[in-house]
Amino acid sequence: MTVDVVDAPVAGTGAASAGRSPASVVLRRTARRTIRSGAAWGYVFGAIVISSAWSYSGIYKTPAQRTALATAFGSNRTTIALFGPAPHLDTVAGFTVFKTFLTLTLVGAVWGLLTATKLLRGEEDTGRWELLLSGATTRGRATAQALVGLLAGVTALWAVTALLLVVAGRSSRVAIAPGAGLFFALSLVAGALMFTAVGALTSQLSPTRRQAAGYAGAFLGVSYALRLVADSGTGLHWLVWCTPVGWVEGLQPLTSPRWLPFVPIVAFVVVVGAVAVRLAAARDIGSSTLPDRDRAEPRLRLLDGQLGLSVRLLRPTLVAWAAALVVTGLVFGLVAEGAGRSLSGSSVRDVFSRLGASGSGASAYLGVTFLIVAVLLAFTAATQVTAARSEELEGRLDPLLTRTVTRRSWLAGRLLVAVVALATCATLAGLAMSAGAAAGGAHLGAATVVGAGLNTLAPSVCVLGLGVLVFGIAPRAAAPAVYAVVAWSILVDVVGGFGGIDHWLADTSVFHQMAAAPSVPPNWQAIGWMVATGLIASAAGCAAFVRRDLQDA
Amino acid sequence: MTDTPVIRTRGLTKRYRGTDALVDLDLEVSPGEVVGYLGPNGAGKTTTIRLLLGLIRPTSGTAQLFGLDSLQDAVAVHRRLAYVSGEPSLWPNLTGAEALHLLGQVQGTVDVPYRDDLVERFALDPSKKVRAYSKGNRQKVVLIAALASRPDLLVLDEPTAGLDPLMVHEFRSCVLEAKGRGRTVFLSSHLLSEVEALCDRVGVLSEGRLIEMGTLAEMRHLSAVTVEVTFEGDAPDLSTVDGVLSASANGRHASLQVRGSMEPLLKVLATSGVRQLRSREPSLEELFLTLYGDHDGASPHDG
Repeated sequence: MTVDVVDAPVAGTGAASAGRSPASVVLRRTARRTIRSGAAWGYVFGAIVISSAWSYSGIYKTPAQRTALATAFGSNRTTIALFGPAPHLDTVAGFTVFKTFLTLTLVGAVWGLLTATKLLRGEEDTGRWELLLSGATTRGRATAQALVGLLAGVTALWAVTALLLVVAGRSSRVAIAPGAGLFFALSLVAGALMFTAVGALTSQLSPTRRQAAGYAGAFLGVSYALRLVADSGTGLHWLVWCTPVGWVEGLQPLTSPRWLPFVPIVAFVVVVGAVAVRLAAARDIGSSTLPDRDRAEPRLRLLDGQLGLSVRLLRPTLVAWAAALVVTGLVFGLVAEGAGRSLSGSSVRDVFSRLGASGSGASAYLGVTFLIVAVLLAFTAATQVTAARSEELEGRLDPLLTRTVTRRSWLAGRLLVAVVALATCATLAGLAMSAGAAAGGAHLGAATVVGAGLNTLAPSVCVLGLGVLVFGIAPRAAAPAVYAVVAWSILVDVVGGFGGIDHWLADTSVFHQMAAAPSVPPNWQAIGWMVATGLIASAAGCAAFVRRDLQDA
Repeated sequence: MTDTPVIRTRGLTKRYRGTDALVDLDLEVSPGEVVGYLGPNGAGKTTTIRLLLGLIRPTSGTAQLFGLDSLQDAVAVHRRLAYVSGEPSLWPNLTGAEALHLLGQVQGTVDVPYRDDLVERFALDPSKKVRAYSKGNRQKVVLIAALASRPDLLVLDEPTAGLDPLMVHEFRSCVLEAKGRGRTVFLSSHLLSEVEALCDRVGVLSEGRLIEMGTLAEMRHLSAVTVEVTFEGDAPDLSTVDGVLSASANGRHASLQVRGSMEPLLKVLATSGVRQLRSREPSLEELFLTLYGDHDGASPHDG
């Protein structure tokens, strides 16, 4: 992630900026930064949709194969719960929507909330907002401008996605009509749009960017979980109307498009955006709407050294992740038996086995759901790498390293704390899944399920190690690199899991390397390789960090 | 041990991708000295300090503190010094008291009664969280933590940025107290009055090079003396008189910069109807301007 300098408001010397109104500085600044990123993701969205449509015609060639796929998945509770409803799987359009729609909606929503919190609360955190506001604008108006700028970014995401779909749709293997392509692109960015608004709102509510992104992310998690319960076939289908992710799902692009869900979607965006602007206008700069406890009794227990400090700094994040994993584990565990029972048909097994989960029933279902746990854990590992980097970047490492703390002990201590935290999360996820499965009537050994939880630890140790390696060698690249490893692994394994991907390519995904326990026993060899990679990369990263310059802002 | 310089650098050089941040620095600071380190932004002051602290590695040359290598023996060196950065960064979720406790713990030594006394003197509210502090208050936390460890060497990088005048006064008395106890202080600043008030010796840095090092008295000779004259009538043109570097007249008033002998000027003035004559030593500020003003032309040594 690059750090921009404030260029717009002070660059009044050039002839180019002479004619522009200073009042729209925030709008132009925000628009410029989101349009770039939105357009880039538009290419990714378009490429993923087109490639999955393309590969469908290659893999499922005969009508018989397509019908088998449709009967297997069309009514399968598990896959519906995970990836959304799957009507018309015997068509390219139906398959493409099933495979990409919900996944890309989630990716878009995360992009939206990260972008909004970065450009609103993040800018305020760094003090740049203050510079902008000293110009001819007010808080409320500046926030409204930023929202319009963010809208421009979402529009860019839509435009590029739509363009690619319309152009590629002319090919007979993709076969998406221009109108349907435009509507699909619109549906794909609906999640990004709503969660941009959510990010704008939480930016007003919380005092730091991290917390703002955390609240927005938690809201996304709840929205997804509600939709999951709604689609689990437990008679709670009406819940789909109570969650933004459910509204998006209701658009049913390509297969049977409906405009009605745009009513709640647009209403949601307008209301949330308006509330954000109102709250922004009503508060002081640098403050937050939710009460922020600025005063506290000293709690010195952990603060006797840098190891304790690492624990203290990680604790709030750890509690949040652990809570999210326990809830996810309980929900997935509860629906495991019912979902597993409907696992039938060779095509389902085929896809599940491509994702690594063989067998059938609750254990195969849990095998795939632990993949989601592994993804969440890998994200936690990635945040630990970026947290270490921001300690350095923001100069908080200086007061430690100019005292008696050595670089080696600081980094090793942080790594140790991170690994213990990840192991705790993995164990908790396993325990919660086991408890949920038992309550839901699945007969699986508790030890097997908890072991499957621990099995998810290896990919995140590997991600952590690779992140530390980049941090040691090229600290500025650490955050982009570690997220790229996770994102790549997800795309290759989860999207590639439906087929049409080379084996050697799939092997580059850390999640592909992980055995889908409890449906199959843990792959000790792969675990060994991943942990060894993580350890060696960490050690190399540590050695490089000790030998390089500190790189502050 | 007292003969070992507290700071000694030999040919200390740092280059970043073709730009010279610091070139061939030879610096020596004896025990008990208070040394000022002056220079405009980007001159290399912070680079020097980060090299001394082992936060960055030199391209060439060495830095020794207390006779120990700043990289190899970093922990042993750091045990005896305390560093205050001009851009203090602390953990936003810790309170002032928690941050002070942590910094004391990782320092190893802390004089707790003195620390409590400093908290009083600097009027710091330690129950507030760091994120609620102004920059000045964060600066106070870092300063208090540094002073309370009673180090042999204080390394201060523009330590009063963000402090109000009362607190600047308090800071100065703390530095003088430390000096009175025989501690060494290395003070980087671009506030000349601060350096003038505290320092025995001054080093001046420009574009990564140490262009001047000496006591204030020594350095004053480098600069011109300012002479202010008020005449009975309009001020004559004095710019051609020997020794006068520059002259500006405003009605009856003239302001002159004179270097070298005063005699030619006095001879002219004796017949010019002078009502009032004042001359004064250059302030450090004027010295500074002379050094940098001459930098692209003649060096301050000639003349």
